[in-house]
Amino acid sequence: MARISPTPSQKITFFFITALGAFILYLDITTNNFDIIKHGFKSIKISSVYIVKNLSIEPIKSLINLSRSKNELIQENKNLKKALDKSYLNNYLISRDNIFFKDEEIIRKAYKDGEYSFEYDIAQLRYINPNMYKCCDKHRMFIEVTGTSEHGYKESIVFNSSGIVGQIIDKSKFSEVLLLTDITHSLPIKSESNEFFCNANGSGKQEIIICSYNPLVWNEDIVLDQIFYTSGLGGIYPKNIKVGYIKSIEKISSNLTNLEIKLFADPLDDNLFGVLKY
Amino acid sequence: MNRLIKKLLIIVFINFIDQNIAGFFSDLLIIIPLTFLAYSLYVYRSDNNIGAIEAFLAGLFIDLISDSYFGLNAIIFCLITYVINSYANAFKLFSYLQICLFFGLSSTAYVGFTQLVINLYNFSYLILFVSAIVNIIFCVLIAAISVYFPRNVKMKI
Repeated sequence: MARISPTPSQKITFFFITALGAFILYLDITTNNFDIIKHGFKSIKISSVYIVKNLSIEPIKSLINLSRSKNELIQENKNLKKALDKSYLNNYLISRDNIFFKDEEIIRKAYKDGEYSFEYDIAQLRYINPNMYKCCDKHRMFIEVTGTSEHGYKESIVFNSSGIVGQIIDKSKFSEVLLLTDITHSLPIKSESNEFFCNANGSGKQEIIICSYNPLVWNEDIVLDQIFYTSGLGGIYPKNIKVGYIKSIEKISSNLTNLEIKLFADPLDDNLFGVLKY
Repeated sequence: MNRLIKKLLIIVFINFIDQNIAGFFSDLLIIIPLTFLAYSLYVYRSDNNIGAIEAFLAGLFIDLISDSYFGLNAIIFCLITYVINSYANAFKLFSYLQICLFFGLSSTAYVGFTQLVINLYNFSYLILFVSAIVNIIFCVLIAAISVYFPRNVKMKI
């Protein structure tokens, strides 16, 4: 059957609808007006997956477990796994390589103001889009924090057993984490010698942040595999925490050099995270 | 109502497959926009013209489930619907290869446009070029399957 070509009125409708789409796209890129809808949808998606899983897979699993009479053993196994994951996080915090506890500001706050007691909350990964994380500029993750902070978790640091992965920027049902690799994220870093400081921006690539600096201003020799640390200047992250190492150095011009830093921590590695505020 | 639910479920299912294969293919610098191709095929195979509002809502729904900016797929779906509606009769004069080239190149345009919006800082012409070749081959494969195995596929291009 032949199809008629669009009539003038249909063409006008297409034009207006496309213009409306362009306007909505512009609004979504420049503002956060649609975040409520997106977060609401994600919450529903996560909750419904959880409910469906509980109603379908879990009963079958428990039936199998019952038949094998290993329920207690499995539960114990789960608890042990959780405890092991938690111990990895603890190990990261207290490891010698890390200087969380050597940060003078943290110590001062902990002893003088009593604001910080070196405790952190555990968070479970609820949603991350690996495709967006591997391909695109927007790198976000949603976690569920199992704790009750009086002041909320906004601007809290999120870390896994390998290092810092980002900070919490929004709290709805699940906390939204802005990952270090997000194109809008900026992390103040420094070299070990304290002679070089730089703001490393997210690259939109997996595990990579980019630090652009003027070699005429900073004359320290930067070499491949050199390790960089947080400088603590942003006020969000404590200082002297290992961030990553130099993967490549690109000289753009005589007064601009880009350092590609590969991060130690990858959010796809773990399901369990620590949330720390100081 | 049943048709609407059926369409929505098909979109969700294809988008689910799309998102699952995207992770694997992105390592190979390939992007195959399966949802977009499926929608294009739906518009192409439809007996009647698809309206602008239907295209817009379908795009908006995909924006919601695929975690991209609102309006991104809505615009592209409107444009592809308009183009296919306009040339629906002309397509009958084209060879299979020309139709495959059209869909392969339009999906490349889709990849380019979406990458410009969601991945501007890492926009890669290499990805675009490789995706163009793969998408054209993919369309040719689909057409070849429907031509050489019509009984098995029951889908006429």
